[in-house]
Amino acid sequence: MAHSELYAQIDRYAYINPFAKTSPVTKMLFALSALIISVSSPSPVVPIIVFAAATILLLRLAKIPVHFYLDMLAYPTVMLALSCIIIALFFGTGEPLTQIAFPWFTWTIFKSGIALSVATFLRVEGALSCLFFLVLTTSITDIFITLRRARVPKVLVEMALLIYRYIFVFIEVAEKMNTAQKLRLGHSGWMRRIRSLALLSGNLFIRTLEQGERTLTAMNARGYDGNIRVLEDQPPAKKTALAGIIIFDIVLVLAAYLTLNVGVL
Amino acid sequence: MHIMEGFLPHPWWEIWFAIALPIVAYGVYRLSKVTKKIPEAKPLLALMGAFIFVLSALKLPSVTGSSSHPTGAGLAAVVVGPGITSVLSIIVLIFQALLLAHGGLTTLGANTFSMGIVGPFVAYAIWIAAKKVRLPIAAGIFLAAAIGDLVTYVVTSAQLALVFPTAGGFFDAFLTFGSIFAVTQIPLAIGEGLLAVVLFDFLAKYKGQLLSAMKVIKLPTPASTQKEPKQQ
Repeated sequence: MAHSELYAQIDRYAYINPFAKTSPVTKMLFALSALIISVSSPSPVVPIIVFAAATILLLRLAKIPVHFYLDMLAYPTVMLALSCIIIALFFGTGEPLTQIAFPWFTWTIFKSGIALSVATFLRVEGALSCLFFLVLTTSITDIFITLRRARVPKVLVEMALLIYRYIFVFIEVAEKMNTAQKLRLGHSGWMRRIRSLALLSGNLFIRTLEQGERTLTAMNARGYDGNIRVLEDQPPAKKTALAGIIIFDIVLVLAAYLTLNVGVL
Repeated sequence: MHIMEGFLPHPWWEIWFAIALPIVAYGVYRLSKVTKKIPEAKPLLALMGAFIFVLSALKLPSVTGSSSHPTGAGLAAVVVGPGITSVLSIIVLIFQALLLAHGGLTTLGANTFSMGIVGPFVAYAIWIAAKKVRLPIAAGIFLAAAIGDLVTYVVTSAQLALVFPTAGGFFDAFLTFGSIFAVTQIPLAIGEGLLAVVLFDFLAKYKGQLLSAMKVIKLPTPASTQKEPKQQ
């Protein structure tokens, strides 16, 4: 499973990058506030500023290798570009930009469609950079512990941490079973492959469940009360960093306000 | 059907959050009730979450700012109930946004509404209806999972069409998005339905007691099949 490598990589950077030991509150505040302002701003300028800021922070200060960052961006960007081309060519209303007559219908490309498409492209890229900043600098455990402190229901955080663990168990069990099937010639021929796949999916489910039940028994034996306790050794948020983020956000809001009338076309 | 991060502009992303959150809150209430009453159900709940994660990560690209994939939420709705499925879905969607850049945090509300709320509630309604008219269990599970999956994409198409209208208006855009999805989604929905039947069968066979404690199936399967499968 190719995906498992990607998470493993993202997870690794979340733990080893130079920001790993700074307060998760600071990092989450930066990423989420920039994300919300950038997505809500109608102007195309704000997402560009946000994209630049998050990318510079990630590459310069968090020392994420450029090629890894580009790899992460590549797939969503290609899909986004295709979607935006479709939007530009087929969507929109109002003033037409050009009309192409076909024998059976007239194909109209609208100005508003192209404006919509470019604005969408920039908005998504800005948002993606914030999202990547958050995941590449902050581990999932830190994010959920911060949420628990912010009074998100405990049962939800508990379930999230269990699911997070289970995803890896699921993939590990699947990989082991797949290897075992390959070794026993379970993939020689099309019919056998189908049969192996059916056996794998059914057994994968039960095996993962049983592994989980054993884990729960072990946790109960150690006094599990529905609270997953982890070492919370993150430093408190630095006042200067928080002030910096607030100033950055104010600049973004001002930029959004000043460039309100900057259209794409 | 995960709509990409940032694809929905203001005010749409806030609107979908406002619609989705009360239902997720109800799900959290159900979840805390069930886990208090049957603590041994926790692994099953987390497993359904991981199942939704894995199935909905198997995506085919689709040129709609979104993608096409099975959801797994139909089976989850039948096994753990639609309220809890909405909680599992929102957790899974957060993980997918964070780990795979699949979906996003601002589009979380919209994605939860389609995959975690409408899909599971429809699937659950179909499952209950199928039980009422005495359809065989397999047929009920198949219909619930397959139709629950398709309904999710109908909702996504509507969500996208509201933001990206065509000259023909909302309905025209809705049909355009819907037909782009349909190409890949109808075969996927049938596949998901079949997989759900196989998995439900396994669950009923090996974990019948747990399922009947959670009131999914009425009668526990005969005692002889209740034994734990041997460790190989």
